[in-house]
Formats: sequence, structure tokens, C-alpha cells
Amino acid sequence: MIAYKFLRADGSSVYSAFRWPLPKSSPGAWVDAPIDPCRSGIHACRPADLPYWAGRSLYEIELDGEIVEAPTKLVASRGRLLRAIAAWENQLRDAYTRICADRAHELALGVSPALEKWDAVIEPSIPEGPALLGFVAARIAEQRGGAAAYRAERARQSAWLAERLGV
Amino acid sequence: MAEDLHLTCQEIVELATEFLEGELPAEQATLFEEHINLCDGCEWYLDQMRTTIATVGHIEEEQLPPEMRSRLLATFRHWRRS
Repeated sequence: MIAYKFLRADGSSVYSAFRWPLPKSSPGAWVDAPIDPCRSGIHACRPADLPYWAGRSLYEIELDGEIVEAPTKLVASRGRLLRAIAAWENQLRDAYTRICADRAHELALGVSPALEKWDAVIEPSIPEGPALLGFVAARIAEQRGGAAAYRAERARQSAWLAERLGV
Repeated sequence: MAEDLHLTCQEIVELATEFLEGELPAEQATLFEEHINLCDGCEWYLDQMRTTIATVGHIEEEQLPPEMRSRLLATFRHWRRS
């Protein structure tokens, strides 16, 4: 199964600090780990999960062995990085951050009474990057329309990312 | 009951030990990780905890300088009384 994985700029995992064998002219080496969601296993995401895990570098990963589907991620017993997704670079990260900020403003101000306290946090959050701005937009949607609105906003973000990343 | 979609920074602090010990249920651990991914402050807090555990977890009693040992004992004696 093909999935996606965000890593730090140095190729290490955000949560375990594990340094992945990176692909060069060929895929990286296989990595094996027993499955125990959030504790052990190869964690990756589907296109729909991308906004929840947006990070510095993005890779296409091949999963094999046992694969468990969780609400916002996949966990497998085996995986290897196939290639870096070059489209996820500074310009696209900045563009995604900006569209999330613009959408957050739209959601905060397009309701009566306006959610001014929420609106005030949007611009100062921009330097923190795409993961936070995606969350802020979804959180404002949730403030307006509950859990379903939160998920709908996340789905909107996923669609934007999937289209531009070609995944 | 409201559905939990995310955790606050305060909840991250409260749950950090359980997370690091692998004791959080999977759904809560996922929310924990989602928060860490977007909050630099909590990511640093978690890194500090990991560093502290990695460092202090390897200090044996006999490795402590006598002065530090005395201070720690005094601190814990006071803590027990309070």
C-alpha cells in the first residue's frame, strides 16, 4: 500500500526521533516494527490525513505486512520510503499556510456576531507554519458548526493538498 | 457527551508522563501527537521531559556529589511533611 509520511528536515521521525533510511536513486531500506498504534509500528497517512500531520519534509512510503487503519493514520508492520515529494517545498508550505489563514478569517468574520477573539490569533500564528494554521481554521469551523464542521474543514484542506501534491 | 477532537496545552502537560510511558489509549495518544505536531511549545516540553528522563534515569545514588545528595534528601523530607 502506498501512503505518505512527514519527517523532520534531517529525515528523523517527529515522535520517535528514529532516523529513516532515506531514498536516493532507489527506495530506502525496509524498516520493520511490531504494530501497536501510537507506540510501535510504521506510522503513515493517507491523503485525507495530511493536514493533521503537516511537517517539514514529505515522503511517499510503501507499507507492507499487517496494516491497521486508524481514524487519522495508518500503522503497518513494515515500510520503506520510496521518494521525497518534491512539491512539498517552502513555496507550497507558505501557500497552504496562507490559504488556511484566509479561510480562518472568512470563517471567523463571516458569522454574526463575528468571532473576533479567534480572528485575532490568525495572523500571529502564521510564523508557526501550516500545521497550526490548518488547525486554527478547523477549530474556528468547529466553533461555528461543531465536530462535523471541524471534519469538513479538514477534508477541504486535504483536497487542496492532495491536488497540489499530486497524491 | 462532546466528542474529543483535540487536546489543550494544559491537557498535554497532564498527560505527558502517560504518553511517554506508553500508557495512553490509542485514540488519546493520537490526539496527543496531533497537538505536538502543531504546537512548538508542547513539543519542546516533551523533548525536555525525554531529555530529563534519559539523563536522570541513568544517575546512580553513588554518582551524586555529597552536597547534592544532602540537598535532595532535605527537599524530599520537606516534601513529605507538607
